Amino acid sequence: MSAVKNILVKELTRVFTDKKLVFSLFVMPGLLIMIMYSLMGRLATNMVNDIEKNIPKVYIQNAPEGFDELVSSMGYEAEITPLVLSHNIEDIKADIKSGDVELLVVFEEGFLDKIGAYQNLGDEIPEVKTYYNTAEDYSVAAREKFLNMVLNTYQQQLLAERLGNIEQLQVFYIDKDPQSSIIVDEEKASAKPLSMLLPLLINIMLFSGAMGLGVDAITGEKERGTLSSMLISPIKRSDIVMGKLLSLGILSSLSAVIYTIFTMIGIQRLYGGFEGDADTAMGALGNISFTPIEMIQLLVLLLIVVYLYVSLISLVAVYARTAKEANTYVMPLMIVVMLGSIMTMFSGGTEKGIEYFAIPIYNSAVSLQNLFLGELTMTQFGLTVGTTAFLAAIITVLITKAFNSEKVMFNA
Amino acid sequence: MIVVNNLTKVYKLSKKQMMEQRTKKNIKRAVNELSLTAKPGEIYGLLGPNGAGKTTALRCIATLLKPTQGDIKVCEFDTVKDSEKVRKKICFLTNEIKLDPQFSPKYMFNFFGKLHGQDDKTIQERREKLFNYFGIKEFEDKKIEELSTGMKQKASIAVSLVHDPDVVIFDEPTNGLDIVTARNVTDYLKLLKKEGKTVIISTHIMSEAEKLCDKIGIIINGNKVIDGSLEDILSSTHTEDLEDAFFELYKLHNKEEA
Ligand SMILES: Nc1ncnc2c1ncn2[C@@H]1O[C@H](COP(=O)(O)OP(=O)(O)OP(=O)(O)O)[C@@H](O)[C@H]1O
Ligand SMILES: [Mg+2]
Repeated sequence: MSAVKNILVKELTRVFTDKKLVFSLFVMPGLLIMIMYSLMGRLATNMVNDIEKNIPKVYIQNAPEGFDELVSSMGYEAEITPLVLSHNIEDIKADIKSGDVELLVVFEEGFLDKIGAYQNLGDEIPEVKTYYNTAEDYSVAAREKFLNMVLNTYQQQLLAERLGNIEQLQVFYIDKDPQSSIIVDEEKASAKPLSMLLPLLINIMLFSGAMGLGVDAITGEKERGTLSSMLISPIKRSDIVMGKLLSLGILSSLSAVIYTIFTMIGIQRLYGGFEGDADTAMGALGNISFTPIEMIQLLVLLLIVVYLYVSLISLVAVYARTAKEANTYVMPLMIVVMLGSIMTMFSGGTEKGIEYFAIPIYNSAVSLQNLFLGELTMTQFGLTVGTTAFLAAIITVLITKAFNSEKVMFNA
Repeated sequence: MIVVNNLTKVYKLSKKQMMEQRTKKNIKRAVNELSLTAKPGEIYGLLGPNGAGKTTALRCIATLLKPTQGDIKVCEFDTVKDSEKVRKKICFLTNEIKLDPQFSPKYMFNFFGKLHGQDDKTIQERREKLFNYFGIKEFEDKKIEELSTGMKQKASIAVSLVHDPDVVIFDEPTNGLDIVTARNVTDYLKLLKKEGKTVIISTHIMSEAEKLCDKIGIIINGNKVIDGSLEDILSSTHTEDLEDAFFELYKLHNKEEA
């Protein structure tokens, strides 16, 4: 046991006395994550602001009498060019396609006359046709605004003229005050989006933390010839393996914590862009409140996941001859881990059969998700921990076997 | 005491290695039916050209490789069945095994002392003694990556001796050392011999083997072609010195092989 402790202490010392390693393992990825989210936030707000500021070019063909006044009285901001009915609109369509013009609105010939002449079912109903470009954000926004602000109002106006009393159309109201209709457990509702994201984040953070460290601590040591110096010591190979796994576990948990903190700061910046939402995002985090049992469950889940990832990576690392080779082999593993947790994002909310909790990697992500939603049952928790621990233990045995193999250790 | 009995070590070659060594065989017989005995209070020298199988034989003795055939006993313990007990008794120095470059010689010494289950006081005493002897004191706190080849070699030797092993296995111990330090090391080996330790080394340096070794074994292409004291070898090859004897044997046995 003391051999395990000695190796553990040495491994930790090795990492923490190396400023470059500390920087590249903990500080830099954290900063990168934060900067990335902040940038995304800034870009997103810029885009929203930009669209709001943009004054669209709109062509209106055959506008009925009085329509101009309506448009300006509704405060629809646009550079409007009226067109006569005979104008060939093909060139304008081309401009819309190329993004030079945002919107073309065409009123049918005799628009108001047809409306005025309407009497009975089956009489002709005229059309307003819009042309816009779904690939252009400006165009989509211009059309949507035009529909909501101008056309809807215009339609209401004409209806009122026809019927006199427009309330005749309203058989009943649905939810006059939508806010008062919502009955929800605030805690769960705000935890919902986060419960989708967090398992993915945690999984990726844990894995990527363990990845760099594991490859360096095992394949790197093998390459440098420092691992064999331990192999000629009178200690059990399993002690070396335990010492390595423990130190890797501690280090990757630490890096996961650091990454997660930076991510949170980054997300705050991201939402910060959309004024006010920052509080909601952080508030949601605060709203995830745990009972003591749930806290213990979270801790156990995280530890067991770290153990699994560290052992998986170590197994790959011990078989690889060079660090480069190891990194190549680890990538597919990383993809599996990411897929496992991304799947939970899309299947969130639906009840899952107990058998799902026997699938390693996936089960830990689902369990984390349920835990954040306050819905994790003891059976699900137990099965997840059990299968994960079992798999990790098997892998540990395999690693020890590899440490005993001269083929693996000395390429002999 | 080291007893090597009929040791054969075969490496399986990968496709790449076969290409590199320009061979069609997918195995390499690095050591072939080698037997030797190294006794306490004696220095045994393994002599042989590059690729003869010296390092391979020493790695087998040091428990890092398992014999393909035959067996090895170190202090009565089998290197396969009782490898952990063997590792308690031995130290092994070879240039593929290195000290962690990020640590100082002092840290490494303490670390391996602890791995050998020694208490702090013993470790400190051993360190004082060995670091003084090999002149490591001045750079004991420097990182190993900042040391010169010779300094590294000295540090490796001192660290390997931390647990005062009964059996000393040194693969080319004076490799990369200046004459003064090399003499330092060979003198220490003589000291160990006087203390009744079993010492086995490999070397290319004839003068070193002549002066240092009580018993010399010459390996060519994995086969031991002769072993005995210097006098035995000289008389049976009818030569004046070890270098001549070596060339005689080399001509004879390398031809046979081809
Ligand atoms: N891991 C390995 N896989 C395949 N072949 C190997 C391996 N290690 C050594 N060999 C081969 O075994 C033979 C003996 O090698 P060894 O290192 O034991 O020689 P040596 O006597 O120590 O040589 P040197 O004086 O150059 O150190 C060589 O032909 C070498 O190519
Ligand atoms: Mg060699």
